[in-house]
Amino acid sequence: MSGYIELPNTLLSVQGIDTYIGQFHILEGVSVDVPAGAITVLLGRNGAGKTTTLKSILGLTPPRTGKVIFEGVEIQGKRAFNIANMGIGYVPENRAIFKALSVLENLKLAERKKGDLERHESLIYGLFPDLKRLEKLPGDHLSGGQQQMLAVARALVPDNKLLLIDEPSEGLAPILIQEMMEAIRKLKETTTILLVEQNFIMASKLAERFVIIDDGRSVHSGLMSDLVLNEELVQQYLGASIKTRVKEAK
Amino acid sequence: MKQLKRNKIGLYIGIAAALIVLVALYAVTGQEAFIRTTLSGLTLGSLFFLVAAGLTLIFGLMDVLNFAHGAMFMLGAYIGWQFYTNPTFIFGMLPAVLSLSFGLLLIPLIKPYLIALNLSEKLQKNLPKLLYVLAALAALVAFWQFDILGLAKTAMVAATVTNVGNPLAEISAQEPMARFWIRPLMLVISGLLLAVAVSKPGDKSQFAPREKIGKNLILPIVLLVSLIVSILVREQAPQIVLLMNGNLRFALSIVAAVLFGILFGAIIEITMIRPLYIRPFFIVLMTLGLSFVIRELVQLLWDPLAYQMSRPPLFATVGKAATSVGEWLRTGSSTINISGVIFPTYRLFVILLGVVMFIFVTVLMTRTRMGMIIRAGVQDPQMVEALGINVKQVFTLVFALGVALAALGGIGAAPFLPINPLMGDTYQMQGFITVVIGGMGSYVGAFVGALILGMARAFGDYYALKLSLSPAIAEASTVIIMIIVLLIKPRGLFGKKE
Ligand SMILES: Nc1ncnc2c1ncn2[C@@H]1O[C@H](COP(=O)(O)OP(=O)(O)OP(=O)(O)O)[C@@H](O)[C@H]1O
Ligand SMILES: [Mg+2]
Repeated sequence: MSGYIELPNTLLSVQGIDTYIGQFHILEGVSVDVPAGAITVLLGRNGAGKTTTLKSILGLTPPRTGKVIFEGVEIQGKRAFNIANMGIGYVPENRAIFKALSVLENLKLAERKKGDLERHESLIYGLFPDLKRLEKLPGDHLSGGQQQMLAVARALVPDNKLLLIDEPSEGLAPILIQEMMEAIRKLKETTTILLVEQNFIMASKLAERFVIIDDGRSVHSGLMSDLVLNEELVQQYLGASIKTRVKEAK
Repeated sequence: MKQLKRNKIGLYIGIAAALIVLVALYAVTGQEAFIRTTLSGLTLGSLFFLVAAGLTLIFGLMDVLNFAHGAMFMLGAYIGWQFYTNPTFIFGMLPAVLSLSFGLLLIPLIKPYLIALNLSEKLQKNLPKLLYVLAALAALVAFWQFDILGLAKTAMVAATVTNVGNPLAEISAQEPMARFWIRPLMLVISGLLLAVAVSKPGDKSQFAPREKIGKNLILPIVLLVSLIVSILVREQAPQIVLLMNGNLRFALSIVAAVLFGILFGAIIEITMIRPLYIRPFFIVLMTLGLSFVIRELVQLLWDPLAYQMSRPPLFATVGKAATSVGEWLRTGSSTINISGVIFPTYRLFVILLGVVMFIFVTVLMTRTRMGMIIRAGVQDPQMVEALGINVKQVFTLVFALGVALAALGGIGAAPFLPINPLMGDTYQMQGFITVVIGGMGSYVGAFVGALILGMARAFGDYYALKLSLSPAIAEASTVIIMIIVLLIKPRGLFGKKE
């Protein structure tokens, strides 16, 4: 269990949060530091609490104790829309795009200021050219991959300083995973990213830093390049099936 | 793509079925009776739509079943009727409503300073409680010996007296200013105390940027000006209203009912429904209880009687039926001849009202950002919030809009239905059935469902009378239709599958 050490240039700092959903104590001390300009990945088994950590940062499941500090401001306890408006974009797991809205409306809805979409149009359609063609189609007529593209694109519409991206590769065909990786790598040039990714290869190729969450606690953090070499740790927290993949990743 | 086609095919089948039923009814009923019954059905359908549109939007977005919707329909009728017949009561109460709202609306202006205060934990906890008590006391002083019941009864006096001479001054008498001024003042103080209490002074975990103060200045200023005006004109205004053109007065009655609906809906949502979103079942009980409270208050104010509102002049001239729309507009004839069928002109107006509101809701839902937020929120309010949108505020607006539509239905029905404390109950029941048939959360479904139900009731009534069956047949027919629709499409005609 690594103690909490403040890194220089920290954009977001989650400090020992506890989160309850109903009576269930889901997070029991999660600390995550997200340095600016890099990709930090949350790793952990299914049900470890990765999604809940993202939701706690955003105030969707507000933490009961602990602190969340964004750009030096304590944001725990604030309403979710206020937190988002400070410049945090969210790409939820299982592609929660709006099915009754067209692709264009999905993007328009994400505007915080008039003209947000116009200003970022070239970036968005540059990353996901398909979306331009699908503009008029309602959300529930998109394929799974297209929905995932739209979910990421939606987070790019306003000016965000931090993106919370939850399992962007989930259920995508290998070729689309490649495309998604390219997109995220490009985004890193302008924003900071906190990523949840089960695909270890993808995580190891993208992220600079990692935090392992296990059973509602953050148990390890450090440089991704070190983790790739530490088979024991990977084995212990991420399961044997990933062990072979580590070798591939190296 | 495949799904798109399937939806289209379903739509064509539905339209074809509707046409077949209409042609069959036409053949069986005969032209004259068919046209008359269809127009009656459309009139009913229009009112059902006004009730169901609010119900379906509120349920779709917030999962709230509003069992007080019928009571709000009824309140709309009472407010409109009061305004039309004698607005003394409304203008007498207006300063109270405005002064309390003015005090409350100062929240965004004072909150940034209040939460910056350094208060001990104990004070933070107990100060709001003390303020609530003081606010209640101030309100008590404000209404001390204020003759609300007397004001409410003025409309009844007017109904009997205005034909004989013009004793308007007498029936719109208000308390003299020398005694009155303390009331709005105490209510502003009461509202302000409440505002301070709900701002939780000293609680630094809250978020209230000072930069926004300027933006929030407009509404309180508008309210303050209207408050002062409302205090100054409370005596003359009722007379001015009563002496103006009857059609204009009716238009203003509609505006009054709608404004009341918006205000009342917003207050109910913020104070009673918002704290219960985490306990949906309690909301059902709360709205049910609220409907009883509203009904009892109305009985207290206006006695458990039924009133008949006179029709505005445009629909009031009795005699020969107008032969064209132009002639009707010129003579204000109460009936119009539509291919040999004599039909009340006012009911045509109600049909028009329903169609206009359907267009309004359609434009709102498909062309505006607000509509986009509502459609998205129906599916996933959390994700809408995560985009940086204040979903709670949207909930309030949608609830207010829904109640305003119900109130509009109420005043629309007032000139041809007896106004009484129970008048909303049937419409609430039919509204719920409409929503189930049309599909929860779909305003298009509410429109189609309302048309189907309106027609079913009209033709049910017609055949019950003709075949001397029990009129309950018409009521039963709507439930039978609901069952058939649910067997074919369990989520209703336009319901989305999960
Ligand atoms: N609404 C809820 N009610 C009760 N328990 C919940 C709820 N949501 C999540 N949990 C529990 O909280 C734990 C953490 O869930 P979370 O979704 O954060 O895990 P995760 O790490 O994102 O998993 P996955 O990799 O499967 O997405 C799980 O055990 C889950 O069962
Ligand atoms: Mg998850």
